[in-house]
Amino acid sequence: MTSSITTASKGSKILGMTSIVGFAVLVLLAFFATDPDIRFHPETGEEFGQFDAVRLLYLHVPLIIVTYLAFVICAIASAGYLVKLTFWWDSMAHAAGEVGTLTCALVLITGSIWGRPVWNTWWEWGDVRVMSTLILFLLFLGYLALRGAFVSPQRAARPAAIVALIAVLDIPLINRSVEWWENRTLHQKSTLSELKIEDLTLFTLMLGILVSLLVMSWLILHRFRVAWLEHVEFEQGIKTAIEERRQMDNED
Amino acid sequence: MKLLEELTPRQDRIEKKNSGLLTKFAGVLLLVTVVIVLFKTLGNASLFFYPVDEAVEKRVELQDRRFRVIGTPQPGIFETMLSGRQVLVFTLCTGDIYADVVHEGDPAELFNPGVPVVLQGVWREIQPPSVEKLLYSPNDGWHIETDSMVVKHDNDYRSDRAELESCSSE
Repeated sequence: MTSSITTASKGSKILGMTSIVGFAVLVLLAFFATDPDIRFHPETGEEFGQFDAVRLLYLHVPLIIVTYLAFVICAIASAGYLVKLTFWWDSMAHAAGEVGTLTCALVLITGSIWGRPVWNTWWEWGDVRVMSTLILFLLFLGYLALRGAFVSPQRAARPAAIVALIAVLDIPLINRSVEWWENRTLHQKSTLSELKIEDLTLFTLMLGILVSLLVMSWLILHRFRVAWLEHVEFEQGIKTAIEERRQMDNED
Repeated sequence: MKLLEELTPRQDRIEKKNSGLLTKFAGVLLLVTVVIVLFKTLGNASLFFYPVDEAVEKRVELQDRRFRVIGTPQPGIFETMLSGRQVLVFTLCTGDIYADVVHEGDPAELFNPGVPVVLQGVWREIQPPSVEKLLYSPNDGWHIETDSMVVKHDNDYRSDRAELESCSSE
């Protein structure tokens, strides 16, 4: 009976396949079809730019967008839980929080890999964009640790929801940091909002965002279903235990 | 049977005790980590980047103090020896204000005229070596002696149409 339980459905399989195909196309475009970032100085004629490091843009930018989105979903679902007190909202918050933490870790890793050739440093401790993103990651890592610290998911739901609602406040700070503290960050300003990107580079970045959204939806969907199955099993376990206890009492 | 045991009052007490300890541990761990991160961030807060014009304006105030300066290197970069050390000499600018720089250590991989850099160092009231080789030197008897270089890359990905951070064109 248990072996037939699955988190997959026809819709999720289509979503998963689309994500895989989309990711393959993205890799082809990002690493082979698009040009490296090379410019020529008008006075000296010397080459400059980000060269091949620019290819990480197609992963790094989409990842931060889906990270923001996953954490916002987590916060909305947490608020939903505090109002409705239902397991559905709590599971959605948990699933989105977990996926967001994973993508946030990938943001920090890809950013660090990009930073070495472009910024000339793996990590910049004084940088407000880098540090506020690290703090976001740590806050949601704490959110997950808090959830894991309780044996009963119901007991973890309320404090975790409060932590998620506080942690998500870091997102506008991260997003605006390059404007508010321009002289405290090496991070460049938004490329998309100033439209300083075009042609195949823009298309590949947009595809990257779309693929990342698909992957995020796919992961959240499955994680949510796993949480739901865990909940059903937990409830079923309590019912079974009560039944067994009643039987024992009757036997006595 | 196992589930039945878990429902007994004694097990419940153990569960409460364990989960309480774990929560406290997770909370303390998170708090310590956030404090370390904030400490590191605030510790560097005084090292924000002065644009060249501000660094020049506050030259007397900043003298003998390490600071960070951001600006765009201009063409005319050259390497030379200074007191037995290999140094890089160039002119940095923001807007129409220029400052000479003597940098010791490996330059950033993307270091080039037109690509803004953040340098860390101190003001020195002395001409840089071979100042006559510099194309944009303010020739004011000062230079910034730096030993740390990172790049602040722009957000322009339009290849041929990308705007260049260049003081001379402003």
